[in-house]
Amino acid sequence: MKKSSSQKISLGLFVILSTIILIIALYFIGNRQNLFGKTFKISAVFNNVNGLILGNNVRYSGINVGTVKNINMINDTTICVDMIIEEKFLKHIKKNAVAGISSDGLVGSMVINIAPEKAFAAPLNPGDTIKSYSKISTNDMLETLNTTNDNISLLTSDLLKITTNIQKGKGTLAMLLNDPDLATSLKNTIFNLQTASKSASNSLTEFNSIIKSINYDESLSAVLLSDSIAAIQMKSIIANLDTSSFGIDSVITNLNELVLTIKNGNGTLNYVVNDTTLVNNIDSTVKNIKEGSIRLNENLEALKHNFFFRGYFKKLERKKAKEEKNKKYKSEIND
Amino acid sequence: MDILLKIVENTKIFLTEIGELSLFAKRFFKEVFTRPFEFKELLIQGYKMGNKSLLLVGVTGFILGLVFTLQSRPTLMEFGAESWMPSMVSISIVRELGPVIIALICAGKISSGIGAELGSMRVTEQIDAMEVSGTNPFKYLVVTRILAATLILPLLIIFGDAIALFGSAIVENLKGDVSFQLYFNKVFNALKFSDLIPATLKSFFFGFAIGLVGCFKGYNCKKGTVGVGEASNTAVVYASMLLFIIDFIAVFISDIFFEI
Amino acid sequence: MKNENNIVPILKIQNLKKSFGDNHVLNGFSMNLYEAENLVLMGKSGSGKSVMIKCLVGLMQPDSGSIEIMGKDITKLTQKEMNNIRTEIGFLFQGSALYDSMTVRENLEFPLRKFPEYVSKSEALVIEALESVGLKSAIDLMPEELSGGMKRRVALARAIILRPKIIIYDEPTTGLDPITAKEIIQLMKGIQLKFKTSSLIITHDVDCARVISDRMILLIDGINYIEGTFKELLNSKDKKVQEFFK
Repeated sequence: MKKSSSQKISLGLFVILSTIILIIALYFIGNRQNLFGKTFKISAVFNNVNGLILGNNVRYSGINVGTVKNINMINDTTICVDMIIEEKFLKHIKKNAVAGISSDGLVGSMVINIAPEKAFAAPLNPGDTIKSYSKISTNDMLETLNTTNDNISLLTSDLLKITTNIQKGKGTLAMLLNDPDLATSLKNTIFNLQTASKSASNSLTEFNSIIKSINYDESLSAVLLSDSIAAIQMKSIIANLDTSSFGIDSVITNLNELVLTIKNGNGTLNYVVNDTTLVNNIDSTVKNIKEGSIRLNENLEALKHNFFFRGYFKKLERKKAKEEKNKKYKSEIND
Repeated sequence: MDILLKIVENTKIFLTEIGELSLFAKRFFKEVFTRPFEFKELLIQGYKMGNKSLLLVGVTGFILGLVFTLQSRPTLMEFGAESWMPSMVSISIVRELGPVIIALICAGKISSGIGAELGSMRVTEQIDAMEVSGTNPFKYLVVTRILAATLILPLLIIFGDAIALFGSAIVENLKGDVSFQLYFNKVFNALKFSDLIPATLKSFFFGFAIGLVGCFKGYNCKKGTVGVGEASNTAVVYASMLLFIIDFIAVFISDIFFEI
Repeated sequence: MKNENNIVPILKIQNLKKSFGDNHVLNGFSMNLYEAENLVLMGKSGSGKSVMIKCLVGLMQPDSGSIEIMGKDITKLTQKEMNNIRTEIGFLFQGSALYDSMTVRENLEFPLRKFPEYVSKSEALVIEALESVGLKSAIDLMPEELSGGMKRRVALARAIILRPKIIIYDEPTTGLDPITAKEIIQLMKGIQLKFKTSSLIITHDVDCARVISDRMILLIDGINYIEGTFKELLNSKDKKVQEFFK
């Protein structure tokens, strides 16, 4: 019944050991780690391992096939990563498979992804080194995304300001959008402006040519700059010009006044121009004269056919033909 | 040399203790299935352990939920994931924090209580008196207590979990303007049976460990009041240690069956 | 004295040995207890008295030797048979050993709970037992509300509630003042007369031994050193014996 103390000790030892063994067994079962299964080693060389650490998973076409066993820095840009792969996957991984390092999820740990190539190749042998490619790391991606985001945020804030202003009716665009009258007048204005600018451009061209024409060596400015005597002369010329311009000015004033008087309705010309009744009258008079002359023509025709005057007209016709002949003759001589 | 001898001696004592504990557990399993069943005493012990621990477990759970939520809020806010608070808090409380912390609290209360009670009964020969009265004290005192602790602890833990989630909901309500309805909706959306079942199964073992160690220490108490103090003290220490070992194993097992 | 004529003792211990490691507590102890006899067992502290009575009720297993209670060797009994024998033995513990968590009534009912035939009339039995120790009023008190002497009396009531043939008293007067001790001794005597029980009294209190003993045994060095009436032992020339009566 009673257990001796040595029995108790061995029982205690047994309990502790079996607990430890249980824990270890559970650990390995839970980790799906093939403790006693055969494994083999392959390697890949990377420029950058992006924070890969020992024990990270190795995946082949998405299946966990092993873990990272060793990471060796060979030189400043070459890092050799050794991987332990379960043997049962050996025959499926071909020699041309490509290893890449990527992140397992956005914030997950790193994994090595071995991707198969389509071309045929022999299966891997233990100890082989496979090709690798460096992928843009999530970090880089995020960094780029960050600047893009900043820009977008600036852009949107500006856009927001503009749209708010438009909404509130501030600014030209808002007026344009909201006032149809203005739009029409603006259109006209723009059209006018266009013509104006066209003429302006013509004027400029002319002006240009003028400038070109005066832009020779002994130009006014050149003389002005070099010759003091010429300058004095120039001065007098300019003074004369000044006075003549005064004269021109007065002429223009007179002209102006003349135009004004015309405009104000004094004088015949203005009368003729401005009085429509007169114009009408004149018009109708002219018409009447026209009609009268046509009638006369007819009367004359009728008279022609009258026997009393037939002779007279025949005579007249002959005379006319003679004159015609003379004219022809004269013109032939002149030629 | 002296130190080496001492280490060997202490190791021997420790191993003996483990061996005795194993024998004690074996005796429990032998006697728990044999007549007579002390059903009335089981209910009394269940009442004593469960009902009398409600306040302690409630307060602990409430503060646990409150503090845990307050502390983890800033971290989640950094990710802009405040909306994940309910699911995160509920899963961590139901899966791990609730069972372990409440079990530890109960180890402090129940285990030491049993240790002291049985210890003093042993010292004042009450256990002998029981045996002489023709009642099997192991059945009457030990089996009922271990069984009661095993059955009561899951209930206490579920109760504590609920109070902890309530405390967490209060923080979310005050700090994050999350309504109680939304909070518990999210909690029940996040929780799966695969969270609750391993935790509940685990808590049965926690209860068993608490009861077993308390009874073992009390039942085998040495003479004198010093022995009683030592019994209740070591009961708490051993129970807490055992809780963590069980938790450790339970996590591995649930890893295999429920695929964390 | 007169009981020595009985051929068959109610309790017979032969060559009992018990040791804890190198400490040989009992070295072949033998004794007989006859019906309706008050046997006082005296010995120094640590002389193995408590161990001996624990072996008697099966709280400890002796290393060797035999214990026969009413003709049955308890070292060879099953747990169930042992429990039946135990109902024939009342045990008064040194510190009373009342169940702290129970009232006096529940304490007294506790030995009855295994026996359906007693459970039905437990109320009457409890009251009767309490009356015989004069503590009927304390029936619903908790043990912590009782004084040391009252506890001892309740414990005595609990020991006799099943009407045992043998009552074992483990230091019945320890920790009590002399007056209370005398009261307890008188009570023990009264119960012995009332229920015609055999009593095995373990004590180192000489007054107690003088008042109650029909026969005495001195337990020295783990053996039955000397046996006789109080007077015989008192007048003994043996040095070791005389030490007890100084």
